[in-house]
Amino acid sequence: MSQLHVVPLHRRTVAALSAVSLVGVIAFFWPFFVSPQSVAADHATDAPWFFAILLPLVVGVLLAEISDDGLDAKGVAMLAVLAAVATAVRPLGAGVAGLEPMFVILLLGGRALGPAFGFALGSLSMFTSALLTAGVGPWLPFQMVAAGWFAMGAGLLPQIRGKAEIAMLMAYGAVASLAYGFLMNLSFWPWALGDGSELSFVPGAPLSENLARWFAFNVATSLGWDIPRAVLTAVLTLLAGPVLLRAVRRATRRAAFDVPVRFETAVDEPVR
Amino acid sequence: MINRWLHPGAWWLWALGLGAAATRTANPLLLGLIVAVAALVVSARRPQAQWAGAFPVFVRLALLVIVIRVGFAVLFGVRVGTTDLFTLPSITLPEWMAGVTLGGTVTAEMLVIAFIQGAQLATLLICVGAANSLASPVRLLKALPPGLYHVGVAGVVALSLAPRIMVNVRRVMQARRMRGRPTRGLRAAAEASVPVLESSLDDAINLAAAMDTRGYGRATRTSPTERVLQAGLVLIGLVGIALGLFAVLGASGWGWLLLAVGLMMAISGILVAGRRIPRTRYRPDPWGWPETLTAATGVGAAVAVIASSSSAISLPLTWPTLPPFAAAMILAAALPAGLTPPPPLPWRTA
Repeated sequence: MSQLHVVPLHRRTVAALSAVSLVGVIAFFWPFFVSPQSVAADHATDAPWFFAILLPLVVGVLLAEISDDGLDAKGVAMLAVLAAVATAVRPLGAGVAGLEPMFVILLLGGRALGPAFGFALGSLSMFTSALLTAGVGPWLPFQMVAAGWFAMGAGLLPQIRGKAEIAMLMAYGAVASLAYGFLMNLSFWPWALGDGSELSFVPGAPLSENLARWFAFNVATSLGWDIPRAVLTAVLTLLAGPVLLRAVRRATRRAAFDVPVRFETAVDEPVR
Repeated sequence: MINRWLHPGAWWLWALGLGAAATRTANPLLLGLIVAVAALVVSARRPQAQWAGAFPVFVRLALLVIVIRVGFAVLFGVRVGTTDLFTLPSITLPEWMAGVTLGGTVTAEMLVIAFIQGAQLATLLICVGAANSLASPVRLLKALPPGLYHVGVAGVVALSLAPRIMVNVRRVMQARRMRGRPTRGLRAAAEASVPVLESSLDDAINLAAAMDTRGYGRATRTSPTERVLQAGLVLIGLVGIALGLFAVLGASGWGWLLLAVGLMMAISGILVAGRRIPRTRYRPDPWGWPETLTAATGVGAAVAVIASSSSAISLPLTWPTLPPFAAAMILAAALPAGLTPPPPLPWRTA
């Protein structure tokens, strides 16, 4: 069974997605490869600010490109409603960050509707839920990119169906939500800790040392929340995944995304 | 003054200006002044809407940041200064955890530095919280550039549907309770999600049909040259940004130039895309002198603090003094509390 792409994967969309993902990778992982002579190394605590301004621009360009290239009224409505569901269930999550039910919606949305739609869904849901819970801050652009990747990844996984698909999605959900926590820590690690502690980022230090410090920072701060979150995401996917995935696929069949719209000249039939 | 919404952009510029000022000073007196100004304006101009209750949440988060920062300094701190306060027993972690040393001697300098750096972040969070509770989120979404019109529409629809979906969740739970099914636990949540999602997806299909019949999303025809121009601007711009970032991180001189050119190309790509979506806005938010005043006082505070204060903490520790110019400009940022139109009363909220 082939996959449905609500946003068709033209070469243009793929190129824009890859370029924006590359910028995202730099925005998260710059501490590991910054040269000690760089401006960014001298201003390590300011660099996250710079990326917090740059990322919304880049994500905005990508969303404009995606919506321009293949988002009709049906796509906009589907995007809006799934983002509304994700926004509504975000406060239901347990724990500090509480993202598990939202992650399940993003996972299934990206899986059933394709990677490009998934990226748009992930970043838009993060944005609207931040607006609704008044959680707009410098962390938001990073969350938007990470949640976009989260949903996009579910759409990029191999196309299998049945029990194997649910098992694959469970494993992906657990690993990806763990990775989400690590990425978010990485985004504010150089900034939140300053330079006065043994877990702080050292500009220009060898990769292995900074990796070890980052890992220790994760263990010291959020691992206690990240692991239960990963387990919960997997369990929720197991319990609700099969039937929700069917529901989304059925709705997309009813909406008939893949039927091309053709205009034909009306033929005058004689009236009897 | 007649009650009306201030442009959300003005509140965000004001708050980000104050926040930028907070990251550029290590003077606790100035930081305290910024917090006071933000709290005053929020208490004077906060509308009666649900999202406006965000300020206390951000204040609590800000206090938490200071506590965490000082806690990290005590546990993981590297010794700075000479004024010893107390000594904790120390352990060294294994090599794969970066060989970190826990505990050890804690000095007054370490605590003060951690407190001030924490207070900078906390002040910034309080400024962001002020913007969150002053600027209307729906109005902010409506102010997106035309190229993001479709995504903006999806965002506005999502924001207005989300509360209804929460009501749906409650209704489904009520029905389960009446049928004697469990309403707590993971299985209950998973089972309740099915009717909620099904009804929402039906809503989506109806909404799409309604939008189609009303002629939503009809783009004007564009010439092939214009489409190629747009795609080229966006793609080359994005690649330029990525290459520019690599160059900046690798300490090449021309990185900033490449970055700036890439950004300009990508943004003009959005503008070209926006030309395909002709639309008019019903009752746009005006930008009048109160908006200019609000934005200017925020930016003015940032400029004054950057010009007259330093973000470095000098050792040995000395008692801070109040730089008069920066303090006056921060106080001026309290003017929007009285000189902007008050928000509309609750029955006219957006």
